[in-house]
Amino acid sequence: MLKFVGRRLVQMVFLFFLFLTLVFFLLEAQPGDITAQFLDPTIPAEIRAQLVERLGLDGGVWSRWWNYITNFVTGNLGVSFQQYPRPVLDVITERIPRTLFLFTFATLLSYVIGFTLGKRLAWKRGGFSEHAITVSGVLLYTVFYPWFAIIMILFFASGLGWFPINGFLNPEFWRGAPYTGNEVFGQLIFSLLITGLVFGFTAWFARRQEERSTARVVRVIGYGTSLAFLVIFWLVRGDMRPFALDIVHHSILPIVTLALIAFAGVMLLTRGSMLETLKEDYILTAQAKGVPEKDIRDKHAARNALLPVVTSFVLGLAFIIGGGVVTETVFSWPGMGSLLLTATVAEDVPVATGALAFVGILALLAHLIVDILYAILDPRIRIQTGN
Amino acid sequence: MTDIQTRAAEGGLGTERSHSEVPILEVKNLVMNYEIKAGMVSAVEDVSFTLPKGHSLGLVGESGCGKTSVALTLMRLAAANARVLGGEVRLDGENLLELNDEEMRQRRWDDISMVFQGAMNSWNPVYTVGEQIREAMDLHWEPRPSAAEARAKTEELFQLVGLNPEMIDRYPHEFSGGMKQRAVIAMALSCDPKLIIADEPTTALDVIVQEQILEELRKIQHEFGMSIIYISHDIAVIAEITDLMGVMYAGKLVEFGDTVDIFARPRHPYSWLILSSTPSITGPRRQLAPLEGEPPNLLDPPSGCRFHPRCPFATQKCTDEEPPLEEVEPGHKIACWNYEQVPVGILAEAE
Repeated sequence: MLKFVGRRLVQMVFLFFLFLTLVFFLLEAQPGDITAQFLDPTIPAEIRAQLVERLGLDGGVWSRWWNYITNFVTGNLGVSFQQYPRPVLDVITERIPRTLFLFTFATLLSYVIGFTLGKRLAWKRGGFSEHAITVSGVLLYTVFYPWFAIIMILFFASGLGWFPINGFLNPEFWRGAPYTGNEVFGQLIFSLLITGLVFGFTAWFARRQEERSTARVVRVIGYGTSLAFLVIFWLVRGDMRPFALDIVHHSILPIVTLALIAFAGVMLLTRGSMLETLKEDYILTAQAKGVPEKDIRDKHAARNALLPVVTSFVLGLAFIIGGGVVTETVFSWPGMGSLLLTATVAEDVPVATGALAFVGILALLAHLIVDILYAILDPRIRIQTGN
Repeated sequence: MTDIQTRAAEGGLGTERSHSEVPILEVKNLVMNYEIKAGMVSAVEDVSFTLPKGHSLGLVGESGCGKTSVALTLMRLAAANARVLGGEVRLDGENLLELNDEEMRQRRWDDISMVFQGAMNSWNPVYTVGEQIREAMDLHWEPRPSAAEARAKTEELFQLVGLNPEMIDRYPHEFSGGMKQRAVIAMALSCDPKLIIADEPTTALDVIVQEQILEELRKIQHEFGMSIIYISHDIAVIAEITDLMGVMYAGKLVEFGDTVDIFARPRHPYSWLILSSTPSITGPRRQLAPLEGEPPNLLDPPSGCRFHPRCPFATQKCTDEEPPLEEVEPGHKIACWNYEQVPVGILAEAE
């Protein structure tokens, strides 16, 4: 396993190098002179030449490419033209958690809903509820997304006033706050990450227990600890809590909107996968064994139907930033998507290149995770280390 | 395969020919149809038989004659469009068809377990074989076994069916076809059932493995006094391991009796023709007599005796009236108006 991961990492580095080169030349290939956009045309020629040199825009394409690659390896992604002289890496590390936060919850929500509904639809075929759910699912799946998002804002934010209309936080509320948005958000991410890790470890560890009573004890303690941690953490940080809640409040509507759009695809995928699984002989075996219906559905059929769904889940994560362009624009959420859009429109080449580089990293990581998850979920797949 | 005539001549199939009188399973006038758009498919029509405790029964017949449908109806596992229109299935005196779903679920595997046709696919690929056997024990043992108890029992069963107990923690794909089938047998025994139904237990296996598996099943039946129903289209298999046999044709049981008796002297024209079309390895070389025609469409079965369109002895009465399954000599039942015309011995020799 370790050997496999090691070899894959080497492959990934090579692939990433190719990807980065491609991105670099794609942006290089666009017409026009970037310097004309960001430098005052009235400045004297020699100062202009100096500035061009400082921005790293002098020299031939190949030397600039080589510069970019070697700098990238050291973590220097250049400086933003728009927010000069802020380093690109700084901009990106500020934006990435926001996007991951939004999309992790939206994706989790859509997969939980989609998978649960999908397996039920396949299990109880026919009947009014199946048709109703399928039709409304397909409707949401095919609806024009920006329009749907605006309708959601109109209804829940503007109309009912349950949620803020857009943005990451409410600036008026934050005026004079002792913390910056990023500090609070960092704490929020940290607490959720720890909770999630404890939760995941508990689920894994409980499954490994042979004795059912032990597994139950492990679950109670583990899930209890993870929740207790979250509660205690925010009790201790009481001064930060209202600000954290403000950010959470802002994130609910985009998360729900994204999940509503995405769950139908998962639901239909699960339904199809389940219908295939239900034809298998081992389902009949389970019935003959007297396994209760619910367990046949969840432990036997859905467990096998899960495999293609997991693939789509992880691969879907890779397209977050692309999908984020629309969502983050509609909800004015300052994440990677809106960053990529503004950088591209403003021809802020270093930021655009950097953002695209992270899309590539995310995609490569997602593929690695799929392979590892598959080996864990499907015992028939053994990772070949080769000899 | 052991040759049929030889075994019959040796005068036994390994068990006592005088059957015990205590019935473990009584099937009475069982009728089951499949409802499809075009109408009702008469899959099981008025089937009755009794299996005494500790004995084995074989159901033979062509594909689609209703033998698997009988098995699935006994377990109440037939497809969603199956309609049981009448009859009784008494297991140890209790009519399974009258139980509610939850009661039936508790009886499954605890009272009747099953060895399925597709050994290859009867295992869920994502759980180890040990986990799947333990699932059955967890559901039916009273009280529920501890991990150690379940493991001890599984090891014992693995040894019984000739599997290395170290295989318990392996996944199904790490087993060969024969090993999977052995493991299925181990699982079928895990809750000490009253009856095992083996539906084509060896069909997917090669002849050598087939022989080993049959030997395993025979051993289990004798050692534990297990009652087993075998379902097969392979007459040689039935001949080898059963005490009693029933011949099915187009959803009906046409002949029922002692396996040795039926092989020695098939009395129903269908059984007679089937045995005539079966080559014998050790017996004299002879011309085989093929069985002409095809099984009928059960959406619209033939009137009277369902076999009459293919029967060489058919008369007008066969077209008009359905022959009942009647005892013609002790323990030997036949559903035929003209059974007396069926010659002694098989066709090629008779000619």
